[in-house]
Amino acid sequence: MKNLSILVVDDDPVVRHLLEQRLKKERYQVDVAEDGYAAERMMRQRFYDVVITDLMMPGDLGGIEVLELAKEINSRTEVLLITAHSSVNTAVQAMKKGAADYLEKPINFDELFLRIDKIANMQTILRSAQDLQLAMDTTENVAAATIQHLEMLVARLQQNLNDIETILRDVELEEEQRIDRAIDIINRG
Amino acid sequence: MIKINPAELKLVAQYIQEISGIFLDQSKAYLFETRLSSVAESYGCKSYQELQAKARQDGSKVIEKAIVDAITTNETLFFRDKGPFELLQHKILPEVIDARTPRAGGRVPVRIWSAAASTGQELYSIAIIIKELLRDAANYSFNLLGTDISDAAIAQASYGKYNRFEIERGLDKKYLQKYFNLFGDSWKIKDEIRAMVTFKKFNLMQPLSSLGKFDIIFCRNVAIYFTLEDRKKLFNKLADCLADDGYLLIGSTESLTGVCSRFVPKRHLRTIFYQKQ
Repeated sequence: MKNLSILVVDDDPVVRHLLEQRLKKERYQVDVAEDGYAAERMMRQRFYDVVITDLMMPGDLGGIEVLELAKEINSRTEVLLITAHSSVNTAVQAMKKGAADYLEKPINFDELFLRIDKIANMQTILRSAQDLQLAMDTTENVAAATIQHLEMLVARLQQNLNDIETILRDVELEEEQRIDRAIDIINRG
Repeated sequence: MIKINPAELKLVAQYIQEISGIFLDQSKAYLFETRLSSVAESYGCKSYQELQAKARQDGSKVIEKAIVDAITTNETLFFRDKGPFELLQHKILPEVIDARTPRAGGRVPVRIWSAAASTGQELYSIAIIIKELLRDAANYSFNLLGTDISDAAIAQASYGKYNRFEIERGLDKKYLQKYFNLFGDSWKIKDEIRAMVTFKKFNLMQPLSSLGKFDIIFCRNVAIYFTLEDRKKLFNKLADCLADDGYLLIGSTESLTGVCSRFVPKRHLRTIFYQKQ
């Protein structure tokens, strides 16, 4: 099984079934939803890397609304829109709202798999960037604690040295007093 | 990609240090190649020696700017390390405002400088903290300046637009909703915050006197790219332009030991800040 989860949203049972079968054959993890309402419910239950949705669906929740919901629920989800040729303009509008891409009907599956591969590559790069970031943050935090500890320690030791110098140079004091006070400072650490 | 040879490495590294102070390790040839190859190509140069020579001759400094933009690291995020911002909110700002009130009679002039502002996240984070702390920020006079050596970084900072990857790093959801507007697939800082800050290009190798005095200076994670000599010069200049009771914040892994004895480190909770002796 490939490490990419896909939600297919389409009101047409034939297209829905076809997409599900073809994607499963390519070994993706696939769920299906028959409308925007079911899609919203499912997206709130678990994270999908990719949502493939029909642009035109009956009811208040069309493809654009599914896109907006997906981005609102988790902005990492990438959305692919399936459009009829006549609604390409709407699809371009959708791209401006953050859709990853759109495909015209009838669906060319080679093209679809290419788009999904691209998204998968992006997600992998993103994930390793985040891993690196996490590793860097951890290293940085540990290093910062050490450096800050040393910084305060050096400042305190410098202060002690200055105090000792002042005492040792103090001609008003007896030699024994100077030594005693210098040792006191050394002992305070 | 154009390959770089050892002689060019030395030449280009020296040129970059001259124009920016940034000291690049000559053992990292790939860094020069990945960052400068496309700059060389776009100015029709076949080698890095040619690029360097052309940049020196170019009176308009367009090539120099392109090289600086390509070589500078804009690694930054909103509220990078929580510590300094908590310190600012709970200790520094209240103290500075308190100290400035009697003299100013009403409006308190407080000057804050983000000395390596990069793409603006640090200064906007500071502005957000001020807005959160002082509901009636209008009663105070703040002067928030962000400078960076990279024109490209300053341009993005001024525009205040960030993509979702930049936003997701460090920014609290509650601040996102409150202080940013959705702008296509990105987010743009709201005008009320944008109006609090000024950005301009500035090279830290230059004298700082033209900038005036500051109450609080953030100079984080920039001196790490300088040689020890340049670091000493920089922090000495920072001491000159910081108010006597002012505050300096450096990066969490940076140290001023052996760099500038005019500053003393002080600790508040888990964060260190510096004040003048």
